[in-house]
Amino acid sequence: MSGTLHSFIQLAWRNMWRNPRRTLITLVVVSAGLWSILFFNAFLNAWMQSSKDATLKLLIGSGQIHAREYMDNPNIKTVMAPPGARLRAALERPEIAAWSARLVLPGVIQSEYKTRPVNIAGVDPATERRLSSIPAKIVRGRYLNGVDDDGVVLGLHMAKRLKTGLGRRVILMSQNADGTVSEQSFTVVGLFDANQKTEDFYVFTGRAADQRFLHLNAEISEIAFAVPNDADLDPVLTRLRAAAPQLDVRSWRQLSTYLAATDSMMRGVIYIWLAVVFSMMAIGIVNTQLMAVFERLHEFGLLRALGMTPRRVLMMVSLESLFLIGVGCLVGMALAALTIWGLRGGIDLSAFAKGLELVQGGQVLFPKFDLASFVVFPLLIWLLGILVALWPASRAAKASPVEAMRHAT
Amino acid sequence: MSNIVSCRNVSKVFGHADLAVQALQGINLDIHAGDFATLAGPSGSGKTTLLNMIGALDTPSSGEVVIDGQPLARLTAAQLSEIRLHKVGFVFQAYNLIPVLSARENIEFVLELQGVPGAERKERALNALADVALEGLADRRPAQMSGGQQQRVAVARALVSRPAIVLADEPTANLDSKTSEELIALMYRLNQERGTTFVIGTHDPGVMAHSKRHIQLLDGRIDGDGQG
Ligand SMILES: Nc1ncnc2c1ncn2[C@@H]1O[C@H](COP(=O)(O)OP(=O)(O)OP(=O)(O)O)[C@@H](O)[C@H]1O
Ligand SMILES: [Mg+2]
Repeated sequence: MSGTLHSFIQLAWRNMWRNPRRTLITLVVVSAGLWSILFFNAFLNAWMQSSKDATLKLLIGSGQIHAREYMDNPNIKTVMAPPGARLRAALERPEIAAWSARLVLPGVIQSEYKTRPVNIAGVDPATERRLSSIPAKIVRGRYLNGVDDDGVVLGLHMAKRLKTGLGRRVILMSQNADGTVSEQSFTVVGLFDANQKTEDFYVFTGRAADQRFLHLNAEISEIAFAVPNDADLDPVLTRLRAAAPQLDVRSWRQLSTYLAATDSMMRGVIYIWLAVVFSMMAIGIVNTQLMAVFERLHEFGLLRALGMTPRRVLMMVSLESLFLIGVGCLVGMALAALTIWGLRGGIDLSAFAKGLELVQGGQVLFPKFDLASFVVFPLLIWLLGILVALWPASRAAKASPVEAMRHAT
Repeated sequence: MSNIVSCRNVSKVFGHADLAVQALQGINLDIHAGDFATLAGPSGSGKTTLLNMIGALDTPSSGEVVIDGQPLARLTAAQLSEIRLHKVGFVFQAYNLIPVLSARENIEFVLELQGVPGAERKERALNALADVALEGLADRRPAQMSGGQQQRVAVARALVSRPAIVLADEPTANLDSKTSEELIALMYRLNQERGTTFVIGTHDPGVMAHSKRHIQLLDGRIDGDGQG
């Protein structure tokens, strides 16, 4: 049987090149189709990554830890103690690039002209700088200096609404630990430029200053953490939950459902594209292979007359498709890899940035070579291609051996 | 004399009802080991149809065909393939060879289907080519050979698997008379030297001149069967 297989392979390979024009057309169809799938996939992933990065790096992180009731009802009663030794150890593991403990509670900000509801975030600037992009987005003044800094950092849009500015004073109000309302004047030390939603939602001050303001000791309300490698996230969540079973540990998917929905939609889009491209490829493959088979019906009749079983004829013709589509897949993979390599410097979308408002900040996309999709998609195309080519092959297997005797001229 | 092929009451009808064509009617025929038989008759008399029955390419509408002791009734397409592979060699009128394979590879192909190991395959293929005096053309593709050379390769291929019988349907129809004569002489020599059984369907008087047994067909019936 191995000898037979060898001769089948040789025969199939040579037959594949008998009509170079047709072979070339099929190769182009398969390789262009696979190229478009692989490139589109890399592009979408890069797009998703950049919008995810922009959103998550702003403030959310890869996940957060709160007291159990905090997410439903964030207030001075749903704060928690700073992380104990066990949780700290879990947070210090190498998979977690940074973590930051915050005190984020709803309150009110007031200028001479306006009063607005806001979330007052007491942060540690040192850890915050490693987790959040807001410290780097200061456009006027400075970021906070330390946990005791009692200056306040506002978003540009908030400052405009309040008609206040750098060096001016604003009043923050919030319920304190004693059940009364604290009210205190803070100096605006810096303005940050993020998206409008974040600018309107948060003001920042030093964490210890915030705790004093609200008559707290060391209590915090959230720990945000960054896990750079997506694959590490689930194990990290599991470990954190084990380390702090009484707390509420959530991933960004639970914290930003919009982003999570976009993420799974993007993954859906690539499979829709795969289906579209594959249908077109299938038509091309079936067409060319049927032509190739009908041209050679006499020859298949001869092979049957010589004693080849219908199954072996089917195998031989399938082997041809296997080579043809396989070579097409290899070419498509090479082209896609080259394209992605060529674009490693990034695709600058700033020209279209106006139309891409949902992509916050991420205007340069970095398509990445992703081994898994370079295995899965070509394999899928290859197998599906061989599957549809079974139809022409079965037509060849039905060639009658009597045909070899008749119509000989 | 032992029978290589026996046909008992073999009839073949093509098509149905009004369009039915009675190609063979009640054929009784035994092919003996060592026969060098010609099958002649006017066009449409059923020569090709009968050769198809003898060679297990097709099955009769009624009656029985036995090849080398094996009755063909109720065999599947795959089982008939096996019978052809091991017991029958074919030489057709034209397009006998696989175009993408060289002369030697065409011959080896049958041996590979039989599962003969590589080294033996090559040696037997080259010997078969030598038998038909074509050892020099082993690596030529069919398109690079003359019609007569192609037919000789087909003869070599038919013989290489040591079949019980070799069937040839109008093997000389596309050849000039000199080449035809050479091909027939070659088959006759192989019959004489090896005792290989041949049945040759033909119109060619030159072919009939060599035959040791002459079977005449008319309207799907045997109209004569005698020593040539
Ligand atoms: N597949 C088929 N379908 C219908 N009729 C057929 C088929 N094969 C053969 N016939 C008919 O059967 C009869 C015998 O045909 P066959 O080919 O055996 O004759 P032949 O003696 O070989 O003729 P020729 O000398 O022209 O090759 C003819 O009438 C032919 O038309
Ligand atoms: Mg005929």
